[in-house]
Amino acid sequence: MPTTTYSDEVVACPPRAGTLYDVLELILDRGMVIDVFARVSLVGIEILKVDVRIVVASVDTYLRFAEACNRLDLEHDSGSTTVPELFSGKAAKSIGKRKVREAAESVGDTVRKAVGGRDDDADEPDEDEEEQQERPRKRRAPARGGTSRRRPVEA
Amino acid sequence: MTADGVYVYAVIRARRRLPTGVGGVGSPAAPLRTIEQGRVAAVVSEAPPKLRARRRDLLAHQDLLLRLSDQGPVLPMRFGTVAPDEETVRGQLTAGEADHLAALEHLSDGVEVNIKAFPAQNALRSLLADDRKLRRLRDEALRRPGYEANLRLGEAVAAALESRAAEAGRGLLSELTPRARAVASGPEVQGCVLNMSFLVDRGDSDDFRSAAEQFAETHSERVELRLAGPLPCYSFVSAEGTRVRTVGA
Repeated sequence: MPTTTYSDEVVACPPRAGTLYDVLELILDRGMVIDVFARVSLVGIEILKVDVRIVVASVDTYLRFAEACNRLDLEHDSGSTTVPELFSGKAAKSIGKRKVREAAESVGDTVRKAVGGRDDDADEPDEDEEEQQERPRKRRAPARGGTSRRRPVEA
Repeated sequence: MTADGVYVYAVIRARRRLPTGVGGVGSPAAPLRTIEQGRVAAVVSEAPPKLRARRRDLLAHQDLLLRLSDQGPVLPMRFGTVAPDEETVRGQLTAGEADHLAALEHLSDGVEVNIKAFPAQNALRSLLADDRKLRRLRDEALRRPGYEANLRLGEAVAAALESRAAEAGRGLLSELTPRARAVASGPEVQGCVLNMSFLVDRGDSDDFRSAAEQFAETHSERVELRLAGPLPCYSFVSAEGTRVRTVGA
């Protein structure tokens, strides 16, 4: 049963062998080369090598890092709570939340201005665009579980 | 022979049986065969017209080489190697027989493990805690917020993450090198601070991987590792383009 044997072996192997992406540059740029054999043109192959997960040195990346750092800093200064506690969630909901929130909003403002974004209502920098757009409406009529948790802080 | 030539996958020892259930490049997959000459053989198929580096073809190439290397030593060809005709392949095998045999001998029971190291992404806290310069930049960015300040901060953070990862990568290299028969640096990969292939004994590859994983765990705040292997020995078959360092011997 060739097919079965094959897939069995493949299942045992590839998590170890890595994904195709992980070995792509080896398949394309390593391996034996023999002069009398030609090699097909691989024009355009670079596209395959781009990996969105990888940090690319760019303005966008820098601003993203800066934003994350500024946020971290705020959590740091927001009272007696330690950073890990803030990140673990429980403490963050009560202690120093207001301060964090206010500061986060001002930074959100700054960052958005800095990157030439919209001038609308400030928001936590880590919320995605969709949420930002919905924000003003939610303010007036908080309905969803996710945001209602934050209500008292804003009030 | 067709006009498109002969696609060459690998050189192996003569009289080895090809793995079953595997096809070659092209769609439908070209049937595989060997061209034997003396004590060596080339694993080939007809080259499909307009061969390019399609995902399907790359996988076919890689899968066949994985299967071959499971069964014995193999000299993998670089993807996309096409000989004009069978005669050319025979001529090359004859001319290169001694070299091929020596290389096969050298690689017997060897597998390649490739490790790529990337900057750890979730380590901002520890980075800021460790780096006074970054804290100063961040304080400036908060005091006088603006595009410039944020850019300076972000750039410094990116550089610091990269340099910490590179340092960890050097540590990894010196820890793993004694466990390998040879080491070869891989092609540059964007964002990757270290791309290194290790030639290890097949029987040791699990231990080798464990050692790398252990290292990754210990240094998770500095570096993120991606391991691939056991692989066919792509990086250890050709002096061209690689800096192979034989270890120990």
